[in-house]
Amino acid sequence: MATMPAIMKQGKWTPWLYLLPALLIMAVFIVFPTLNTIVLSFMDRTSTQSAAADCVAGQPCWGAFENYRYALTDPEMTQALSNNALWLILMVPATVAAGLLFALLAERVRYEKLAKSIIFMPMAISFIGAGVIWQFMYKIETGEGPQTGLLNAIIVGLGGKPVAFMSTYPLNNFMLMIVGIWLWAGFCMTILSAALKGLPGEVIEAAQVDGANGWQTFWKVMVPLIMPTIVVVTTTMIINVLKIFDIVFVMTGGNYGTEVIANRMFKLIVTDTGRSMAIAVILIALMIPIMISNIRRFNKQEEER
Amino acid sequence: MYQWSGAEEEKINAIFKPFVDACGVKIVAESTRDAGVLDTRVKSTPPDILFWPTTAPLTLYPDKLKDLSTVGADTANYAQYWLDLGTASGKLYALPAKVDIKSIIWYSPARFSALGYTVPTTFEELNTLVEKMAADGNVPWSMGFASDAATGWTGSDFIQDLMLTQQGPQYVLDLISGNVAYNDAGVMTAYETYQKWAADPKYTVGGSDGTLNTPFLDAIYKVFQENPEAMMVKQSGFAGGEIVKQFPNLKYGTDYDFFAFPGIKGMQGGADYMMAFSDSAAAKALVAYLTGAEGAKAWAQSGFDLSPNKLALGQYTDPQLIKKSEALDKATGFTPDLGDTIPAPFGEAEWKAIIQVVQGGDIQAALDSVAEAQTQALGK
Amino acid sequence: MNPFRSLNRIFRAIPVNLALILMCAMWIIPTLGLFVSSFRDKESVRTSGWWTVLSPRAVVGQTEYSTYCASCHGPNGNALPNVDLSDPAVVAQYTRDYQLLAMLNQPVNGESHLKDPTLPSNPNESLAILGNVLNYMQSLSTSANRGLGLTLSNYADALVGYKGTNTYLDDCATSGAEASIKFKCNASDLLNPEGMGAALINSILVTVPSTLLVIAIAAFAAYAFAWLDFRGRQWMFALLVGLQIVPLQMTLVPISRIYAQIGMQNTFIGIWLFHTGFGLPYAIYLLRNFIGSLPREIFESAYLDGANHWRAFRNLALPLAMPAIASLGIFQFLWVWNDFLVAKIFLSAHPVLTVQITNLIDPRGSNWHILTGAAFLSFIIPMIVFFAFQKYFVRGMLAGSVKG
Repeated sequence: MATMPAIMKQGKWTPWLYLLPALLIMAVFIVFPTLNTIVLSFMDRTSTQSAAADCVAGQPCWGAFENYRYALTDPEMTQALSNNALWLILMVPATVAAGLLFALLAERVRYEKLAKSIIFMPMAISFIGAGVIWQFMYKIETGEGPQTGLLNAIIVGLGGKPVAFMSTYPLNNFMLMIVGIWLWAGFCMTILSAALKGLPGEVIEAAQVDGANGWQTFWKVMVPLIMPTIVVVTTTMIINVLKIFDIVFVMTGGNYGTEVIANRMFKLIVTDTGRSMAIAVILIALMIPIMISNIRRFNKQEEER
Repeated sequence: MYQWSGAEEEKINAIFKPFVDACGVKIVAESTRDAGVLDTRVKSTPPDILFWPTTAPLTLYPDKLKDLSTVGADTANYAQYWLDLGTASGKLYALPAKVDIKSIIWYSPARFSALGYTVPTTFEELNTLVEKMAADGNVPWSMGFASDAATGWTGSDFIQDLMLTQQGPQYVLDLISGNVAYNDAGVMTAYETYQKWAADPKYTVGGSDGTLNTPFLDAIYKVFQENPEAMMVKQSGFAGGEIVKQFPNLKYGTDYDFFAFPGIKGMQGGADYMMAFSDSAAAKALVAYLTGAEGAKAWAQSGFDLSPNKLALGQYTDPQLIKKSEALDKATGFTPDLGDTIPAPFGEAEWKAIIQVVQGGDIQAALDSVAEAQTQALGK
Repeated sequence: MNPFRSLNRIFRAIPVNLALILMCAMWIIPTLGLFVSSFRDKESVRTSGWWTVLSPRAVVGQTEYSTYCASCHGPNGNALPNVDLSDPAVVAQYTRDYQLLAMLNQPVNGESHLKDPTLPSNPNESLAILGNVLNYMQSLSTSANRGLGLTLSNYADALVGYKGTNTYLDDCATSGAEASIKFKCNASDLLNPEGMGAALINSILVTVPSTLLVIAIAAFAAYAFAWLDFRGRQWMFALLVGLQIVPLQMTLVPISRIYAQIGMQNTFIGIWLFHTGFGLPYAIYLLRNFIGSLPREIFESAYLDGANHWRAFRNLALPLAMPAIASLGIFQFLWVWNDFLVAKIFLSAHPVLTVQITNLIDPRGSNWHILTGAAFLSFIIPMIVFFAFQKYFVRGMLAGSVKG
């Protein structure tokens, strides 16, 4: 940290006075509960004894790690873990790509601001509201009545059979991801757009003088230049996807094979606290690599300042 | 002390009125639905008489409750299975005061007669009727779980009725307690029937997609709307109210009506149980009143669902209650809603199995995983 | 030179405008659909798609009517004065196909009602035909269209938390307050705890203090991290960067247990503190980056003028950091406003908008029409905030992510 004005005097306790409220609240609301959660994840469902007490004779048991056995081997959980992985593999790149595409396209039109506002608008509304919006898109009428969901109305209009988007596995997972992309593409677009605008024109010009065509310029010059930003956007999206909860909660309740980690954790929070906490610990364990890389990147930036 | 409030409370007061007028006993009523409130009260100053929607207090406060046969209850007016449900360690601690039955099927009598269908009275007749409808190109069933955050209780209720018909009430009680494993052959049979009806568009509106995605109120409407999509819907008593609200022109008895699940051996439903914490003269008088002829009559005429008191039969004035009371009288057992009674992980596994089965999955595999959850949850 | 001009070659093949407009349409149509639906009445929402709002309702059954009825009753149903099928009172006797069938089975003047042609002998086929005839008869007796079916009642129902089968406005207009125990049919209904009106107030009560609290506390800490010297400054700040991504799921159970013990469950102060706790790492980080990048000279000259840290903080750092504080405020505001999980767990007795929407989903079935109004009511304030302060929002997002 290079911004220290050494000439200013300060009392011995001054910094701590400024910091105290923040440190106190963060200690009580983030640090302590996180540690407590880790402890609870080794306790049984009543949180009074070791998780081993929940073992049933004749069934597999991991002793104190019993809740982790559940969190890693229960079919509902393996389903949730693989769904989160699916979100990571498909939804994150799709969102970043959509954001980049928007950013590139919007640069080139006069109504850039309007177009960006439209893409960005979903960021202002709640996941719950988004769930309601998209349930209207995905509705199905299986009887003789007309389709009142837009997508099925189009499918039927084109002569197809209506699709039960929310109860057909694995299609429902992709339909939920579309909602996620709809919500977050604006975020990716805004940040990538700022990075694109900050690109030095000379570098690109130079590339073209060297005979690169547009496609090559984009992949070989622009993408490497904005790569740090793409990394930041991607890591943020990874965190968002690991924590994904509200969309699934309102749209399918995790039924029909759409379960995700955070929803599973929420479902068990009252009835089976120990297992729920083990899931939370797994959630944070998955995030630790990102946490470390963020801190590393931060330290590097501080050195450069 | 009881859990009724609002319009329900008015009805219970009407039932108590003849008793209060005759004996001069003053009833100080207290209403709560909170088990925590009840617990505090029981541990400090228990109420004389408690009405509660489960028999849970039997296991919670066995040393505080009085044996009702010593508090003036006329047990002769109750079917043996009620006495069994209210008995713990040889003492009769609870008797049902109010019962609502769920094992009923709604249909349109006028449409049935126009199409030449008759109300089935046995399970075989129901099966024949369903096949006949399907052969005529009419969809027999309308089913609906509603897809968002659904619990699948309509499916669970249907399967429970099938088990009550095919296996009987004790079987369902054994499933709840864990004495019968959920992958038993009897459960299997019920699921086979259910899968046939709930997954095929010939038998239910929209096939499995329809069953899973139709909100269950819509499922009721589909039988009674102008261009009906199905002939029957299995749903609790509240469906009658929903039908008239949605279609105010329809008349009970001709345009819509219900029949008890054909051939069912024991009813599924909700019961509110009466328990006594005191054997004071006033408590005795109230218990005697409600278990005797006068209370039965007052209850039947109040229109506050059914009284399991045998003497209430024939006293009802509401045509729907008359019919329900007759159905209850024929039953040889009573089971609470399985889905409401079993512990959450067991219930969740059951719900998942129902979805798998409706989507055409392998029944044995689905039931095996429920049985595992059942073992885990009940420790048996 | 504009670097993007070079990209023209890539995109020359794609009509940029078309692609962008298409994508924008894809992005806005879902919201638009909900918006249109929110003004349609219950029956319309239930039975037709929102895009049909302007198209006339199709009337089926004309063919069947012409075949079986028009020869006697006339194409408009009024050829026989004693049985005028365009008279609503006559048609109202028949609401279902089987009623029509029963009537047609009765002889007229000793002869069968329908002679040429007669109905098929299979009752199933007859009913299918008569269903359509009935539908056509009904359209003869009513003025074909019931209008567009537009209404504000979804908003009214959502605001007061109406859960009946009619609409709140109709109930109050026809039977008045005595018809229901729950509603008084005056402005006090807006405060019904089950409605979106009360939830709106709860949302404001949760969001505003949570936002102000986080700004106040973070500003102090950010100043300390930027301009004060203390041991552990470096690693504490690095820790802060890490804390930013702790999922709040990690803390729900321990905190709710503490709250239950000290009676802070379902209190507003409880949820303020929780949101503040979770907002702080990012807030401090954002403000520190901004305050720390202010020119060192202005602080030095202030010190030479005799200012202490308190005055430097209050008179220099705070006013200069206003743009960053605005960004942070918008961010925190939208985050808290749109939160569901925290409010659901810590404040379920005073539901905020998001929680109330899920409460309005009728566990017994479909009430889509109310959800449409409810969802839009929850959008109004964040939309205003968002469009009014979009600049700050974007700036806050960039500062948080890129520089981080």
